Amino acid sequence: MQNGTLTELFVRWTGKLGLNYEFLATGYEAQIWRDGFVTTIYLVLLLIPVSLLFGVLFAACLTSGKPWLLAPVRAFVEITRNTPTLVQLMFSFLALNTFVSNLLGGAQHNPLTPFFWVVAVVGLHVAALHAEALRAGIEAVPASLVEAARGIGFSRLEILRYVEVPLAFRTSLPAIVNNLINLVKLTTVGNAIAVSEITYASIMVWTQRDNVVELMLVILAFFSLLNFIVARIGKWVERRLAVPGYGI
Amino acid sequence: MFANRFTKTVFGLALSLSALVATQASADATLDRIKGRGKLTVGVILSGAPFGYIDPKSQEQKGLNVDLAQALADSLGVKLETVTVTPPNRVQFLQQGKVDILIANMQYTEDRAKVLDFVPTPYDRSGGAAVVRKDSGLKDWADLKGKPVCISQGSNYAQPLIEEYGATIKALPSQPESLLALQGGNCVAAVHVGATVGLLLQDRPEDWKDYAIPFPTELIPSDSVIWLRKGEKDTQAALDASVKKLHASGKLLEFAKANRLTNTDFLQAQQKALSAAK
Amino acid sequence: MTVVTAQRPAGRRVLRNIGLVALPAAILAWCLTDLSLGRELMQWLPYLASGFAMNILISLCAMVLGTAVGCALGILQLVPYRLVRAPIVSYVQIFRNAPHLVLIFATTYIFPFEIVIFGNYIAFPDWVKAVIGLAIPASAYVAEITRGAIQSIPTAQWEAATGLGFSRVQALRWIILPQCLRRSLPPWMNVLASITMGTSLASLVGVHELLHAATDASTAVRRLDFTVIAYVVVMAAFFALCYPIGRLTRRLERRFLPG
Repeated sequence: MQNGTLTELFVRWTGKLGLNYEFLATGYEAQIWRDGFVTTIYLVLLLIPVSLLFGVLFAACLTSGKPWLLAPVRAFVEITRNTPTLVQLMFSFLALNTFVSNLLGGAQHNPLTPFFWVVAVVGLHVAALHAEALRAGIEAVPASLVEAARGIGFSRLEILRYVEVPLAFRTSLPAIVNNLINLVKLTTVGNAIAVSEITYASIMVWTQRDNVVELMLVILAFFSLLNFIVARIGKWVERRLAVPGYGI
Repeated sequence: MFANRFTKTVFGLALSLSALVATQASADATLDRIKGRGKLTVGVILSGAPFGYIDPKSQEQKGLNVDLAQALADSLGVKLETVTVTPPNRVQFLQQGKVDILIANMQYTEDRAKVLDFVPTPYDRSGGAAVVRKDSGLKDWADLKGKPVCISQGSNYAQPLIEEYGATIKALPSQPESLLALQGGNCVAAVHVGATVGLLLQDRPEDWKDYAIPFPTELIPSDSVIWLRKGEKDTQAALDASVKKLHASGKLLEFAKANRLTNTDFLQAQQKALSAAK
Repeated sequence: MTVVTAQRPAGRRVLRNIGLVALPAAILAWCLTDLSLGRELMQWLPYLASGFAMNILISLCAMVLGTAVGCALGILQLVPYRLVRAPIVSYVQIFRNAPHLVLIFATTYIFPFEIVIFGNYIAFPDWVKAVIGLAIPASAYVAEITRGAIQSIPTAQWEAATGLGFSRVQALRWIILPQCLRRSLPPWMNVLASITMGTSLASLVGVHELLHAATDASTAVRRLDFTVIAYVVVMAAFFALCYPIGRLTRRLERRFLPG
């Protein structure tokens, strides 16, 4: 892509196959499209740690046994799990965002961007899914092990940090990897609020041209690749972390 | 991995094949099909008065787009069927043949004329107007450089805003979302067809009291035309005659007034020119 | 598991059921405090309801189609012929990993709007395209669930069935499948919930469903508070549909799974 000749060659070669990638040779459309890939990858890289962090936090609240912690988190988890992410995103972006603006005394003081809302909504949605997986994992930690830890003098938080989460993480890892694959797919809803990820960029191109098929092929290949990588890394982590004699 | 590549190819072929079928299905004479079915299918946009909206009381489609579509169907002697389209899907709907023609706030541009045909006589002329906050200090299009601007996905304002004025584009699925994004502070301006946003500000003064349309000129003012698929000369000719008649008889001007189009200078001029020519 | 159940405070049961009532109650309270808003909402409720009917229709059709195709693919994934297996395995891999939204875009914009069969034009409306767009990932998930369920049955059972004089098909029909059904019901319901929520994506390609109806309504009414409440209504509607599915899934999981 450093020089135009490679792109030109590609456009000509695919043109012979009846595929129209002519926009790659133009100015701003090609730029938007290339940025789309970068934004999607960036979103994924940012969302994975965010979702994991909040997932652990939610799981801690869900297993804390304290009603004032449990009730709001449970309510949030249920709502986010049982309503479409797109609706949550539209609601946050159109309603909550305006509310924040009013709170800050005018839209011009509102620092929250569409990008923030995608990260918040998708991140917390996947965090809720993680939390459910981790909760099941934590509940599966043998009571005797927790007893033993308490016997050595671990506090509730220490038990969570050193005993329950590490073990729960291992048992729930397959579910978590599944959630992460879901996460990669969910980033596409960003196009509804103008986050310039790859589907958005493709819409920008195909609305001015007529090459949906061409763009679709690339998008499908791209997401297959991304999720293949995520699944592979997940498998690798699973193997690395396997504790002999624990779990399945 | 081989299998993976294999299905990708198969899938690609399948998709291309269905696309081919799609184009073949739409390549037959549209005018004959319209007459044969006794029905003209028009893609209209319902992004707000005066062009197209849903009446809150009766929940029926209203607006200039709908009135014009009805008049065209009447002139062809067929029934009207409207299909709601949005900026990101309208061109695809036309290409697929889901709709016969588009009356969907689409102005003439060279790029569009490359993929689609259009009825040469325009039914209106409009350009983009920018809604901005009154206290933003923005005075003209050039002030938008480097600033986030909301538009609809598939809007023809994207290119001039990016290439001429250097604005950062945020394209939302449709006009209402774009305007809500403006109110939420996600962009400094929302650029849409002038007449729609003008009427909106006029109709809902309390919601929009902090906003105005301050720029002296409209963005790429151009002819609003009816779009059809490439190569449909007979439909094009039939519709062109009908649109000319509607201009000459003053019908179009009537529709515009009934739908409270703010600026009817263009339509008046067209009426004069065309009724004189008759 | 019984220990855990016993530990659950009684408040939790109240909390669980409150979910269904809380959102509609909030909507009602808001409408009562601002009667003009309530009247506006009442006016639009039939319109919104017609949209929601479309969501339910799409999700049911997509699940029926997806399950039928998915079960077949899942069984075919286990046939001993590589040539049959390979394309199916890659179909499942690609479409399980593809975003629903992208598949809906693909089917809507690529499929023709009508099909010609023996000279007859058969309309191919967008909601049907959305059905196919969602049935594709559903079939991929169901294929995986089916394969997993069949594989989870110990091979000894196959051997025992052969020993009792069952043919391979008979063994599948009378011994393996009934067990698979129990194991695959909870994950299948997860797919159902996920596809049901996926139907809202169809709004982005212009299918008249609930979210689309809500946008239409808020465009027509042009009131900020109405826009907010319209979206809350959309959330409440999906919640009322998906929450019971989720609850039932967890009940079944506890009943069927060992532990």
